[in-house]
Amino acid sequence: MNAITFENISKYYPSTEVQASDNVSFSIRKGEIHAICGENGAGKSTLMNILFGLERMDSGRILINEEEVTLRNASDALAHGIGMVHQHFKLVPSFTVAESILLGTEEKPFISKKSEVEAVRELSEKYSLPIDPSALIDTLPVGMLQRVEILKMLIRNVEILILDEPTAVLTPNEVGPFLDTLRNLKERGKTIIFISHKLQEVLDASDRITVMRKGKFIGTKESKETNIYELADMMVGRKVLLSVDKKPSVPGETILSVENINVTSSSGLKILDNVSFSVRRGEIYGIAGVSGNGQEALIKAIAGEVQVRSGVIRISGKEVQNLSVEQKRKAGMAYVPEDRVHVGLNVEASLLDNSLLGYEDEKCFKKGMFLDEKKLRERAEKMISDYQIYGSSVDGLVSKLSGGNMQKVVLAREFEHVPDLLIVEQPVRGLDVGSIEFVHKAIIEERDKGTAVLLVSVELDEILSLSDRVGVMYSGSLAGELSGDEINETNIALLMVGKKGGVE
Amino acid sequence: MNIFDIITINVLQSAIRLATPIILAALGAALCNKAGVLNLGIDGFITMSAFVAIVSTYLIRNFTAIGMMHPVLATFLGVLITALFGGLLGLIYAFLKDRFNVDLVVLSIATNMLALEITVYIMRAVFHQSGTWSDSSIVQLPSIELPLISSIPVLGDLLSGYNIIVYLSWIFAVLLIVLMKKTKWGRYITAVGENRDAAVSVGISVTKVRYFALILSGVLSGLAGAFLSVGHLTLFTRDMSAGRGWLGNAAALFGFNNPGGAFAAGLFFGFADALALRLQNVTKIPSYIIQVMPYVLTIVILSIVSYKALRDRRKRKAA
Repeated sequence: MNAITFENISKYYPSTEVQASDNVSFSIRKGEIHAICGENGAGKSTLMNILFGLERMDSGRILINEEEVTLRNASDALAHGIGMVHQHFKLVPSFTVAESILLGTEEKPFISKKSEVEAVRELSEKYSLPIDPSALIDTLPVGMLQRVEILKMLIRNVEILILDEPTAVLTPNEVGPFLDTLRNLKERGKTIIFISHKLQEVLDASDRITVMRKGKFIGTKESKETNIYELADMMVGRKVLLSVDKKPSVPGETILSVENINVTSSSGLKILDNVSFSVRRGEIYGIAGVSGNGQEALIKAIAGEVQVRSGVIRISGKEVQNLSVEQKRKAGMAYVPEDRVHVGLNVEASLLDNSLLGYEDEKCFKKGMFLDEKKLRERAEKMISDYQIYGSSVDGLVSKLSGGNMQKVVLAREFEHVPDLLIVEQPVRGLDVGSIEFVHKAIIEERDKGTAVLLVSVELDEILSLSDRVGVMYSGSLAGELSGDEINETNIALLMVGKKGGVE
Repeated sequence: MNIFDIITINVLQSAIRLATPIILAALGAALCNKAGVLNLGIDGFITMSAFVAIVSTYLIRNFTAIGMMHPVLATFLGVLITALFGGLLGLIYAFLKDRFNVDLVVLSIATNMLALEITVYIMRAVFHQSGTWSDSSIVQLPSIELPLISSIPVLGDLLSGYNIIVYLSWIFAVLLIVLMKKTKWGRYITAVGENRDAAVSVGISVTKVRYFALILSGVLSGLAGAFLSVGHLTLFTRDMSAGRGWLGNAAALFGFNNPGGAFAAGLFFGFADALALRLQNVTKIPSYIIQVMPYVLTIVILSIVSYKALRDRRKRKAA
């Protein structure tokens, strides 16, 4: 018997032009632990949000216990016995555990604290999930908060429990007990769906595994009959490599050196663990890895204002780990962020303004204390023609541009700065094939001019076609470094899922 | 001169009277803060309500049969109309917030400026008066002696002999304390204010909570305004609220947005006011120093409270 059947589910986001779900069909058996794997942007969360009534599908059908249902909101889903624990908990800080669990289920107008505490205690004993009902949410560790969220669903008598990246927030010590909890719930007849991209724990905990990639259903495997390699292949996929003409690199002196840096999150979780590597002039160093393995923190530590707990970052020999972004830029860094709409550009300003963003203080753009309007205008015009930016004039708004042309504006601005160190993060995300080629060529040209390039990407073919050396991130540390002939799909894929022995 | 020569029973009574509009404002502000809809328009609500109270009382008193026969009833009806008027202001706020997601801070700045000028404008255009307006036909809200309580020595004097709005402010305080502490609706209000997503995810209507908080704060402001123009005196002056709404907002914060705390804080501000008046009469301290005292006190206390809150938060984080 199937608890849930997805039939031809499709969902398109016009604002970001992403087909988040593309004709997805598969089913989940009653009483199993079913894992859904895939990289960020594979469409796992979208599918689950559709199931929980938070998003509407464009087309398709959902069957619960073999019957078609309409899920317009979370209450509909709860009424059908579907509960969801979100990655970001939805809890009220000043409430106690009991208040949080019972919120919205109170039957009588007046509250009896005593019977509420009793009800929660009973529930926690029933499911062997010990918790103190009178503890304040504000004071609990993440693992406990997750337990509160699970109990919140259980008291609503859900039969199907969705968990969105439940282990992403847990410390390694909390993961084991959490997986036990899942098995325990399964024994009590609940159906569990959990989203993860951590393949090992998926294999350990689940009965079956469904892999998604770029909004598409790739396949469902019995956990006992598959292995980490097969799953990694399914997740990453074998795509036709975009060929980029590239001369062998001629590396010069070291520009960026990262030595044993450690970063911890505000909740004390270790995000970066002793990461060390260096990037030389005239080479592209690719950081590969499934997203969420510390790349973000690494980039923020180097290019942004994330404080490292320990370790040294040098740009051209200068220690920069405690410097401001402005000072880092002065030291020769340029940065092309992943989020061009919010971070890379001010889309509500003109192309002219954006062509200068962040470099307003440079003397050569000034005439006395004011900006040299004429010079800047000429410069922006030249950028538009050099980088083939279509869709807007110098005074036009950047928001009018397509994603590819927006990216060109960012590249033009950062490249014109003639950096020693160029950091590019997911440079072609969401771009069409033509723009991808342009951006890749531009990055290689920068390298050939003698810039040290640090490329961060979760796209394996991008890493493969551009990088001269590759470092692979896995759970906050550098799982391995590859160069020359070692750079191939298999080696990277193995390091990506934490198999250190993958490289002979 | 000992302290009881300064703080007489009269001073305490006047403290309670002075505190009433501040308490009403504070209860409404606290409720709104709890529900996550910052209402900084209360001061303007009060000024407009004070005007509506005296005008509606005047109209009922002079142009309706019932008002001509029962002058006191006219005043009561005026108060009732004003409470409804305040509720309407709150309703408009809630509608604009809910339907158009209007920024309430900006709306409140506009409300406060509008309240000040529109009352003066109508006063001039219709009643041909500038500055203040009153009419001898209007009767003040009567004082009510509470049975039993009024016969208790000292305490009777302290708790009895006020007009109905003073008692209403106490009743509302108690009702709100019970609502917030003992009922599920209080819990829903807190949930909406602190984590909207959490509330939505369990099926609580954010819209209902916001409407409730804003409308009730409007009703309370209406009562506060009526208290000033027909409860305390029988006249309207320009900027009648004179910052009492803002003091209410401060009292709400001072009381950690709990109705009980807001009530106590409002009472404290009223006491400071009364004490300042008293000191002007019985001491030689320059009056401008005394007049500024309640406000200095407010700043000092708010600083202490926010420092304490900050320290608690740090402590919790460290733990």
